[in-house]
Amino acid sequence: MDRKSAVSYTAAELSARGKQDIPSELVSGTHLIYNSPASLMFNSPGAEGYGVKRAGLSVPDSVMLLVAPGCCGRNTSLISAMPEYHNRFFYLMMDETDLVTGRHLTKIPEAIEEICSFLPKKPSAVMICITCVDALLGTDMERVCRKAEKTTGVRVRPCYMYALTREGRKPPMVHVRQSIYSMLEKRTRDPRAVNLLGYFAGLRQDSELYPLLHGAGIRCIREIGKCASFDDYLAMAEANFNLILHPEARFAAEDLQQRLGIPSVELTRLYQIERIRRQYTAFGAAIGVSFDDSAYYEAAEAEIERFRTKYGPVNFAIGEFLNANPFELAASLLQYGFRVSEIYAAPAPEHYVYVNRIASLSPETRIYSNLEPTMLYYAIGGGSADLTIGKDASYYNPDTPNVPWNSDIQPFGYSGVVSLFWELDQAMSSQEGQR
Amino acid sequence: MKGLRKYLTPFAPDQSGAASVLYDLGGILVICDAGGCAGNICGFDEPRWSTQRSAVFSAGLRDMDAILGRDDRLVQKLTDVSQRIDANFAAVIGTPVPAVIGTDFQALCRMASRRLDMPVFSVAANGMELYDRGAQEAYLQMFRTLSKDAAGKDPGRIGVLGAIPLELGDLTDSDKIAASLREEGWEQVVMYGMGATFDDVCSAGSSARNLVVSPSGLKAAEYLRERFGTPFEIRYAMVDWPLRGEDLSGKKILIVHQHVYASSLRQRYLSQGAAEVRLASWFEMISELLEPERDCHLLEEDDLIGLVRNNSFDIVVADETMEPMLPFFCGRFVPAPHFAVSGKQVCV
Repeated sequence: MDRKSAVSYTAAELSARGKQDIPSELVSGTHLIYNSPASLMFNSPGAEGYGVKRAGLSVPDSVMLLVAPGCCGRNTSLISAMPEYHNRFFYLMMDETDLVTGRHLTKIPEAIEEICSFLPKKPSAVMICITCVDALLGTDMERVCRKAEKTTGVRVRPCYMYALTREGRKPPMVHVRQSIYSMLEKRTRDPRAVNLLGYFAGLRQDSELYPLLHGAGIRCIREIGKCASFDDYLAMAEANFNLILHPEARFAAEDLQQRLGIPSVELTRLYQIERIRRQYTAFGAAIGVSFDDSAYYEAAEAEIERFRTKYGPVNFAIGEFLNANPFELAASLLQYGFRVSEIYAAPAPEHYVYVNRIASLSPETRIYSNLEPTMLYYAIGGGSADLTIGKDASYYNPDTPNVPWNSDIQPFGYSGVVSLFWELDQAMSSQEGQR
Repeated sequence: MKGLRKYLTPFAPDQSGAASVLYDLGGILVICDAGGCAGNICGFDEPRWSTQRSAVFSAGLRDMDAILGRDDRLVQKLTDVSQRIDANFAAVIGTPVPAVIGTDFQALCRMASRRLDMPVFSVAANGMELYDRGAQEAYLQMFRTLSKDAAGKDPGRIGVLGAIPLELGDLTDSDKIAASLREEGWEQVVMYGMGATFDDVCSAGSSARNLVVSPSGLKAAEYLRERFGTPFEIRYAMVDWPLRGEDLSGKKILIVHQHVYASSLRQRYLSQGAAEVRLASWFEMISELLEPERDCHLLEEDDLIGLVRNNSFDIVVADETMEPMLPFFCGRFVPAPHFAVSGKQVCV
């Protein structure tokens, strides 16, 4: 084996092996995990965007108490420096005695009381963030929170930052989505209200989802990231149904169905406009309406065509940590007549519907895993792409124009496609401007 | 309340200190964690990471690995990597997960040594201690495992211990230390943990002298003195410092920083006319430098708040993250960056 090159597979090779035989280099559990700036979002999801800590604070006017060894809270100063998180993070530092005796749990009520007296205004809730240590100690955090709530008179909820369980049935980002909706209490349902679940900062305001829902008679569309107050948040319990926009919100939606009787429908974020159209048709059928999405469809189609006419068959390299499924995005771009030379993402079995499509359209597209040890030897700057999408793709191709496509405010639907191509255009034109 | 932080985010932990010492030595570093610790070490505590590649890996532990103690799987993964990566050594660095499950690092290293064609050692960090403790342990293990018996001393070579980025305000500080030592007449300045090579570590016994610039380097200096007879001194080779050139006559000053830097700063301020200079540190302090009447160790936020409230300091010199803790302080707050505290580098 060449010790100085990064392992990769072509789409054709992966497709031929099938989803039952994914190469071990593309399965993170089978090897040590390489730590490069391109893999930071995997190892430390909160380093950018939303990890458990920021997600837990989506509840308006809440604060977080991190009860953990110091190392678990070290990177929080990055977040604390953001104005909206001023005075919202507190730490109860564990030592080795705590580890043995579990006494850190008994200190939580006192810590909450001190935090409440320190703050000018009583928080709406205290989110207790615990980490791998308590996962291994088997701490019953639900009970600890109930007890703390009784003692202090403040709502207390757990947020489990258990990295050890990230590939389990209920990984941390699934759990935290349940936690943030767990304070909703049963209310009279409003048949014209709906919640969008899955994203912490909400959708881009230009998404066609809003006018389509309004056109279907929905008057009130609520998202946790757009709740201005805790009362606004509590009003989410009035929803007639929940719209799941991220698969990690399924568990939260199930919980809301069981506790409050709110049913849910799931939509997937897609970049292929034909599939977006089919999804809206199916969604409309499920709720008994017919969406007229033709104007949005045509706008997205026109934006794609405009870009293609202006720049031709652009060659893309696509990263993993972006507001898209990288394989769906790659397949869409190929479908539109563009090229994709590299994808930096490890495919899971459920991605094979796209891997097979990529293989049929562009069999030589190379697929790398950011996490694979030999990525240490990736020839940075040696790629052929004209444009990269995702910050990780930019790490490997630093001199190529890049669209990070990772904003907190989320793109969705046809407007997501329009926004993406607008940003791609900006990146390409700024590069041409430099020439 | 003991253990509660309301102002300061946690300081760099021991695992980050250990990784910092070993970062640019050309070894395989395995952070024995589930991913988050490795992410924090590299993404937050290692400023070289964005510009300088290093073979730092997460063990990628999952719940069943921890519950079942599957060390053999970790050894297998390490063996696989060693066959694909060019490296001089392998080091396994602990985190809270192995601390909870009681991983036997010595046994783990013995198992790995039998399979790998390179030296293997460990640093039993636990994520609850601070960076200086981890760096100290990493220095010790590094010299114990990698240094060879020396044929003789090189009179022009000085080793510097403790100049890792976490100790400093910016990455150029190490260059300044080296420049200062060259001005003193040293031909070869070896900065362990900050530019020293694997060969430099192997030949550590040939240094004529070692210089300890932070408490994290002290134990290793003592070890090298015992093993190779290399003498050492403790001081920060300063070129520039806060308040340099100012008349400090009659001023009462508090410095909060790592002990060696703070102590050297004290000498400068006294020579600039300061009436009294007191030191405080969140990190380990060295008895030889301690002035028990004036110096103190800080553990809780209230310790610093009380210290400043109960003394009429004219000037407080500390990392800027501490300033919001002291809204009542009417004197002059002078920032002295400490990466292990703020995680921020100074722009130079």
